[in-house]
Amino acid sequence: MAGGGGVPEQGGSRGKKKKALDAVINVIPAIDLLSCCIAFLLFTAVWTQISRLQAQSPGAGGPPPTAAEMKQLQVTVALTEKGLTLTTSAGMSAEIPSAGKNPDGGPVYDLRALSTKLKQIKTEYPDQSSVTVAADDAVIYADLVKVIDACVGAGLSAVAVMATG
Amino acid sequence: MPIVQPGKRPARRLQGSKVWGGKMSGGRKATNADLNVVPMVDMMTMLVIFLLQQFSATGEVLFMQKDIKLPDALHGQMIEVAPVVAISATQVVVTGQKVADVADLDRDSGYLNIPQLEERLRDEKKRWDFIHQNDPDRDKNWKGDVNIQADVKVPFRLVKRVMFSAAQAGYFNVNFATLDQSNVEAFQRK
Repeated sequence: MAGGGGVPEQGGSRGKKKKALDAVINVIPAIDLLSCCIAFLLFTAVWTQISRLQAQSPGAGGPPPTAAEMKQLQVTVALTEKGLTLTTSAGMSAEIPSAGKNPDGGPVYDLRALSTKLKQIKTEYPDQSSVTVAADDAVIYADLVKVIDACVGAGLSAVAVMATG
Repeated sequence: MPIVQPGKRPARRLQGSKVWGGKMSGGRKATNADLNVVPMVDMMTMLVIFLLQQFSATGEVLFMQKDIKLPDALHGQMIEVAPVVAISATQVVVTGQKVADVADLDRDSGYLNIPQLEERLRDEKKRWDFIHQNDPDRDKNWKGDVNIQADVKVPFRLVKRVMFSAAQAGYFNVNFATLDQSNVEAFQRK
């Protein structure tokens, strides 16, 4: 703020006083404003970034499927104790066995393999956007969310969730 | 003319001088000190920028609870305002009000719906209908969104019953709450 170079002599007359070019800016209002902003933003800040994965519950209450949706390929991902099963109405069926057991005794699903297969389907059917995730009763919420996340990541964003059987 | 103590004092023209005036000041120092506030303004500006990045116009839709640990997801969307059904290991809560105990639900596992939950969600829908009663496109604008905030270890048999009850009450669009990891993933890639 302070500073500034030397002032050149004007006109060479010795009697004339030089005017200072330095000006002190009053920063107190700026500090007041920033303090108010900080207080407001601290109150309204959201520290945990929560997102949502949208899914539809088919059947009761929901809108009936449109003609375009009926024509689309039916892709189903089933979560069971043994692993994942990917089936399509075109006749494709792929078993993705679980990659082991987690400390709680539940299966560890091979999401990478599922993601690869879903991307293959998306490449073959670019207009395809719907997928049905069918889960066993014992499947935990974290696994369900991870599978839905893999489906959305592969471009199949219209996810319907239902129970197996 | 102010009253001054008798004694040596500089001439008026020398009072401002640091050389001559200092000698005569008797060891007194000036009490005024300019504080450099520029670093403070810099710091506050950076704080404001950081807090602006954390700002969310929708506010906090879901409140983190001690007994609910959310799973991570990479492809989640921004969460929207909707009734929240929180499922922990012990109870089911709708917008802060407990509607069922998990132990009771496990006992009557023959049923698919949860009557208290359904009733509470129907109340929520009635409230939405009342607020939008003058809206001509009310039916079109009804999206039927409900946010489900469940613990990572909650079994699907419980989530299924909550989803069924919500669908019975008219909430057929389920939003599963997750912790957004897309920023973390992008940061790790860098």
